[in-house]
Amino acid sequence: MTTMAISDALYDELVGILGEDGVLTGKPARWNRTRTPAPFPVHRWKEYVPDVVVLPRTTEQVAEIVRLANRTGTPVVPRAAGTGLTDGATPLRGGILLDVKRMNEIREIDLVDRTVTVQPGINMLKLNEVLQPHGVMFPDNPASYPCSMVGGRIGTSGWSLIGARYGHTRDLVCSMEVVLPTGDVIRVGEGGGRKLRKASTGYTIKPLFFGHEGTLGVVTEATLELVPRPQAEFAAFFGYRDYDTAWRSTGALAKSGFATLAGVVLFDEWKLAYLRRDDEAYIEQPDWLKSVVAVAMYGNKAEVVPAAREIMRIGRESGGSYLGDEISQGDWAARHDRYAIPLHGRLRTGEVAPMSWHCEDAALNYSVLPRVREEWHAIADHYIRRYGIFDDWGMFAYTNGAYKPWGDYLVEIDIGIWEQKLDDEMWEAWLNCKREITEVTLRYGGSISACHGASRAGDVEYVPQELGGAFDVMKKIKRALDPNNVMNPGKYLLDQAYED
Amino acid sequence: MTTEAEDQQREFVERWRDPAYGCFSSGHKFCRNVCPVMQVTQNENHSPTAFHANIVAMEQGALTVADVAEDYVHCTQCGACELRCPNTLMAGDFYRARTRTVDVVKAMRALAVDSGIEQPNWKRWVEATVDRKNEPVLDVPVAQENVANWADGLGLGVGGETVLFVDCEAAFYRTTLPRAVARILQKGGVDFGLMREQWCCGGPAAEMGYVARSREFAVHNVADWRGIGASRIITLDPHDYITFTEDYPKYFGVDYEFEIVHITELVAELIRDGKLSLMVPIERVATYHDPCRLNKRKGIHKSPREILRAIPGLDFRDVDHVTQWSYCSGAGGGLSIERPEITAAISQQRLDRAAALDVDLLVSACVWSERPLAAAGETRDIEVRDLMELVAESAGLEVTAVTT
Amino acid sequence: MFGFRLSAQKPPDPRRITDDVVMRFDHIYEVDPDKMAIFGQQDIPAWDTHRIVDSRWDHLAWMHQHFADTVLGMSDLGLNEDGSEPEQ
Repeated sequence: MTTMAISDALYDELVGILGEDGVLTGKPARWNRTRTPAPFPVHRWKEYVPDVVVLPRTTEQVAEIVRLANRTGTPVVPRAAGTGLTDGATPLRGGILLDVKRMNEIREIDLVDRTVTVQPGINMLKLNEVLQPHGVMFPDNPASYPCSMVGGRIGTSGWSLIGARYGHTRDLVCSMEVVLPTGDVIRVGEGGGRKLRKASTGYTIKPLFFGHEGTLGVVTEATLELVPRPQAEFAAFFGYRDYDTAWRSTGALAKSGFATLAGVVLFDEWKLAYLRRDDEAYIEQPDWLKSVVAVAMYGNKAEVVPAAREIMRIGRESGGSYLGDEISQGDWAARHDRYAIPLHGRLRTGEVAPMSWHCEDAALNYSVLPRVREEWHAIADHYIRRYGIFDDWGMFAYTNGAYKPWGDYLVEIDIGIWEQKLDDEMWEAWLNCKREITEVTLRYGGSISACHGASRAGDVEYVPQELGGAFDVMKKIKRALDPNNVMNPGKYLLDQAYED
Repeated sequence: MTTEAEDQQREFVERWRDPAYGCFSSGHKFCRNVCPVMQVTQNENHSPTAFHANIVAMEQGALTVADVAEDYVHCTQCGACELRCPNTLMAGDFYRARTRTVDVVKAMRALAVDSGIEQPNWKRWVEATVDRKNEPVLDVPVAQENVANWADGLGLGVGGETVLFVDCEAAFYRTTLPRAVARILQKGGVDFGLMREQWCCGGPAAEMGYVARSREFAVHNVADWRGIGASRIITLDPHDYITFTEDYPKYFGVDYEFEIVHITELVAELIRDGKLSLMVPIERVATYHDPCRLNKRKGIHKSPREILRAIPGLDFRDVDHVTQWSYCSGAGGGLSIERPEITAAISQQRLDRAAALDVDLLVSACVWSERPLAAAGETRDIEVRDLMELVAESAGLEVTAVTT
Repeated sequence: MFGFRLSAQKPPDPRRITDDVVMRFDHIYEVDPDKMAIFGQQDIPAWDTHRIVDSRWDHLAWMHQHFADTVLGMSDLGLNEDGSEPEQ
């Protein structure tokens, strides 16, 4: 019915590799495998549509597809869950969209050396449902926990809500199989080990394959860390009369030094005002409540009970009022899948409007949080007043370092965007808003992104500035590994690697 | 497309564009891992988010109903996606606006039918249903004059305040079930009768996009209920329960004055009130399959478990109802008629999960689920039975199929 | 009574809680309908509101259980409800 966007010859070769069932050329197949959580931007959807979708099941199929891409000069864009917030899985030049969802096998559960080996298309919640009877857990826990997938977590170098306790994605992969941009298949780990946590043999190659957004290949299998399933969870939410007290309290809690500490989160007064709109835990909170700090701990009961008692003491002595078990437990449980809801959006008149959620993230040190917060909100306020389709959903700061939660924070300002009203002018305004926010981040010595990645417009222009000489190294690596620029071309300004 | 078809598509987009943005603009996709179809095809064309996103693309003029109609076949209307969606689960009650993927699928299928894009097996199924007034369930002679054959020898009357509505699959194929239910009601002291002329509930036709056809069945059945003075309708099939509590109120508005009861709720009450005693031990190792239309779509998950725990001798290995949001038999929404191989794969997956519990019995409370589940159970030595059959047996009642 | 009756599905009239929030059923907040001029509200019968609310709490309990065997509250720590130490 629909005319194919690829040649018959390319189609035949792909079918030869995958069978007819694994090659999709229809329009709905292609349109539905490009969008990411918004803003996309939706009004320019048609610019990002791939030419063909492939659904491989094996490493060898992936390698053959990539070799074919090299031979024919066709872009390849790997895509797992498509839930990333930096458009890594969105094709910029059409080509082959390589959807790994059928690569969802659990290959091995090793309860002796404590690893699980999986294909990249498996989701963490589903994986942990299988692991639970064995008393172990794979503790990579983003806000997209019920839908994101291991392959995408690796490709974006994901960040975990309980990373202070258990590490983030890059800390939780012992080794992985990667199809390089040339179609060669390698295994990267600690040295040559498959299930080792630390080795000193040769260059440390493995970190290169976290956060490359599909520009350096496709992960086709990963051997992951297993941790003991926690006996006990503890969450405490403290309330404060002002942000500064809450910020100081956050610092005291984060520096407490408890190994079971999984995270400390600081919500500012904009976030509180936002939560009061529709969150049953906050609607009837007293007016004096301007800021909230949440603490979470996981581990053996023998560790968590005494540590939690100390956390309660520190929280209260640093000015926090405990908000009670019900809100602490209920709100914490909701954070495992805390994605925004469009109807959170409000126009300046107070009317509800369906808005997409854009969370602008950065990595920043503890000391600069109060100043960055003021500057970011001022920027947002300017655009809200001027354009009328944006809405400030508040900020949070979340302890960032794996096992070392005290020095730096994942900081986000959440902005609602009434996507149905987007046009080129509004989109450009939004990018300018992002750019101003990014400039503040860099001025305070931060990084553009702690968890999402920085390959979206409005961020990516600043990557060479942030990385300096390291960006030149990035380009050399890209060209060395992907001589024909077939892997997710155009991302991260890496076309510059081929200019000469 | 003809002008008329274009107008219909425009109206459809106008009706559904805002709800579609409600999904598109969030991009959660939590639905994907609970969707039974996605779990076996892993083809995102079949994901609930795609069903909404397509409407945004239609609004942009990028897709038409002809492009997408076939994708919308891939849905059991189990409701997992819309319940798991944060727009429903976290805020649907607050805004009085929740994700309505089931309605979107039904509306798109109706648009397809109205646009002349029909699925061959559904078309045949609905035509045969219209012809015979009952669904052409496989392998058995279906005709209106046989609709009450299942009740042979039970001494049931017609009419009265309470009517037992027996679903087509139960009336013609799994007759052990309605016979068990009738005997349970008799033993529990519930007065009830049958309809003068029971037609298909009309739900399947609506699910496949044949809305006008569905209404014809509804109009007949409601007229029959009124004609015999019925005020309470007992359903033994969750699909009928949905049709009578969601479709019929839309068709008849405030004049729809009937009380609709699902059998598991009624039987749990009979046991609780001591009107039905379960005395005969059933020495089996069993788990329970939450029918999607009870658990996900209606929130009915306590009464069947209450009943199972009242059966002596039963080693009941439960899987909680939230975990079962991602379980399904694959039989609903017409999927088994148009894509039987996907239904079979979904049932296989369900039986894999049961097998992991080392059970020899899977108990369901949805007659439509029982055929594909039973087929999948054969290779694993797991028997599939209806909860009411078990109840009758434990109450010392005879559970037999009709012999004609 | 556990059966469905259409006449029982109409939600009660709302009472005001805050400037933006009303309540029709006990402990279930709803947006002020006046704020919903742009995005249409739906005809949500009473059973559906209760289904959503019950499912939410079931889901949150499930999430706790998914991540840990037990969830500790103040009483498990030997503390008062507000987190303070009990008087000795």
